[in-house]
Amino acid sequence: MGVGKSCLLHQFTDKKFMADCPHTIGVEFGTRIIEVAGQKIKLQIWDTAGQERFRAVTRSYYRGAAGALMVYDITRRSTYNHLSSWLTDTRNLTNPSTVIFLIGNKSDLDAQRDVTYEEAKQFADENGLMFVEASAKTGQNVEEAFLETAKKIYQSIQDGRLDLNAAESGVQHKPASPGRPLAAPPAARDNCAC
Amino acid sequence: MPTSDSEDFESADEGHGSPVKKERKKRLSSSNYSDNALETDQKSHNTQNLTNSLNKSVEKEGTDGWDDFEIDENEPVSLNVPPSATKVEKKDTKVTNEETMIKESKKSQDTGWDDFDDWGDDEYCSNIQKTEPHKTQSHSLQPDPDIKAVTDRLAAASTGGSSAGWGWGWSVDSLLSTATAGFTNITSQVSQGISTVLETSIGAPDPEELARRNIKEREDESKTSKEESLTPKEVPENKEKDNGEAFQFGSLLSGVTKFVETTSTKVISGGLDTLETIGKKTMAVLEDGDPGLAKKRALLGLGTGDKPVLSQVLREAKAKADEEDKIKEEKREAKEVHYENLFDDFEGLVHLEALEMLSKQVSMRIEERLSGVASEKRQDMKETLQQVAELCEMPEEDDDDEEPPSEDMSKPDVLHERLQTATQDLGLKLQFQPLVKQYKEVLDYVTSDSEATVKAIYKRAVSGLAQATALSVEQYHKAAEMLLVKTRRSTADEADALTQMTVVLTKHISELATLFTEKLNSLPADNKAQTNNYITNIFLEAGNSSTYIQNAFQLALPILQIGAV
Repeated sequence: MGVGKSCLLHQFTDKKFMADCPHTIGVEFGTRIIEVAGQKIKLQIWDTAGQERFRAVTRSYYRGAAGALMVYDITRRSTYNHLSSWLTDTRNLTNPSTVIFLIGNKSDLDAQRDVTYEEAKQFADENGLMFVEASAKTGQNVEEAFLETAKKIYQSIQDGRLDLNAAESGVQHKPASPGRPLAAPPAARDNCAC
Repeated sequence: MPTSDSEDFESADEGHGSPVKKERKKRLSSSNYSDNALETDQKSHNTQNLTNSLNKSVEKEGTDGWDDFEIDENEPVSLNVPPSATKVEKKDTKVTNEETMIKESKKSQDTGWDDFDDWGDDEYCSNIQKTEPHKTQSHSLQPDPDIKAVTDRLAAASTGGSSAGWGWGWSVDSLLSTATAGFTNITSQVSQGISTVLETSIGAPDPEELARRNIKEREDESKTSKEESLTPKEVPENKEKDNGEAFQFGSLLSGVTKFVETTSTKVISGGLDTLETIGKKTMAVLEDGDPGLAKKRALLGLGTGDKPVLSQVLREAKAKADEEDKIKEEKREAKEVHYENLFDDFEGLVHLEALEMLSKQVSMRIEERLSGVASEKRQDMKETLQQVAELCEMPEEDDDDEEPPSEDMSKPDVLHERLQTATQDLGLKLQFQPLVKQYKEVLDYVTSDSEATVKAIYKRAVSGLAQATALSVEQYHKAAEMLLVKTRRSTADEADALTQMTVVLTKHISELATLFTEKLNSLPADNKAQTNNYITNIFLEAGNSSTYIQNAFQLALPILQIGAV
């Protein structure tokens, strides 16, 4: 059983909960066009496999991510304990400007909670991560997590922290293409602790 | 209820030497304080009543034109709408109205004071000063400054009114106008019409008096600034109130109610009744011989004079919109049949990108291994790598007809079987269903009898090719990922399997292209050149598709190679 990365993505792109979702092989993709500050933005989300055997493979995909969502399961402390190792990978393999968002998934299973909100919040604060508890099942905070990440990426671009012209910014500007989103796609790599 | 309110009220009323005012005060007091015990009993009941009557009157406001009272009270000039104003400008006009209304709410407050000043009492200043400390006191006592502000304003207005000479209706009006300034939704045009009538039909101040008041107002501006310091809080509130009268009136009501609890409920409800009567009368007068106010609307510049301008503007706007739509449509169509965009939409591009990342990563690891071994071993390794690469070369166009598909198998099933046969030595479980399903859909489309235009078929062809290619590329990407986590590698078999798969897939692409071009050719051609053009394009895109597939295969090569070294 995973922490629910694919379910979070599915909830975000299709607004549905996938009750039994197979293990992700390598990486799967999801896209959604959102609007930030009046700009249409195509988010391309890379949903990476959480299984340890794919770790070497998924490490190849970190490069060029504009944002990363790190997910643990609030009902299983082991997934929370792995966070620092995933964070190390994320920091080592992405740009310093990559936005990292921490999600405590399965917030609907509060009775089985194994990690307190406060504890995770403190971890997030100490590491400069944005943080919410969410539920892929109920949809609670799912939208917020992805949209906040996108907004933060957008801000980074506005502030000049993220250089669009850099080869690995993870963001492409597509003004010329007719009918296409203006700024596309902050490839947010969906990461995880499993 | 804190006593501060009553104190406040009293102090505002105190200091008026005029016997008439004393009289008024008495009347106020009698209703307010004399029967305190009784009132306590009735308080909630009265409040309820008032709430209802207030609600009623506000609901009516939309149609009754209560707001004309404010206008009447203020300079009508400020609401002048140029007759040339067209509907197109209406938005602007509305904004102006809003501003005006905010001004009005201030003004009516001023007027309250002004009225009382007008009354010929020269104690205005001392009054203010006397009032001030009490106010500060009451502020500190009141938990809610907002409500307090409203109450203060209401108190001020009613005080002013109570000393004014226009009777109860008028004083309550100024109170009400403060309370309802934010709700006025009637267009200024109508309001002005009403105000014109009102001035003549009700005992409104004559122009002389208005002028006098205006001068006074200016003189008092510095004094009243104290009062106005309360208004900024109200202004945004008022704006909000414009959005939904019913709701925001509730929030204001709490303020009103509070105030009412200490002042006279009877006076106000009496005043409201009067107002209601005046409002009804006004509408009756206005609509007399002019049902629906049609003539008055026309008079105010909403009539025929504007029509040519308006229709012209509308026509131009429509033409512009049409033009934009046309451009948009063209762009959309261009995008629709743009192969790369479609390939991207079907996630072909991102799978290719991910595969490329894997490929680079693995190539680097191979380089590392090469540099990490002794030179003679390095040569062996290089040879091995070369052998794997040779295994992955595409076979010459083999014309040996594959065994003809058995009769009882559908074409999609044949494709599925071929793909599985090709990859059986790969040692992985690839998911070919999406490709098979898409093939079935294409077959259904080209064999259906439904009428389709040449262009529609062409669009479907490009889209179909892009989708099949994207699904194919995904197979290489998935195969690469799974090969990298595979525990026992058998490079030669894997290389052969992927090569076979590539052969099947590129043939599949040709088959799709043929299906679509045959469909195009089967149509009666009224524009043969155009059809031929489309057919050429379909074959070009098919070539494009094959290139993508072979590129994907080549990207997978390092993944095959690393299993051998």
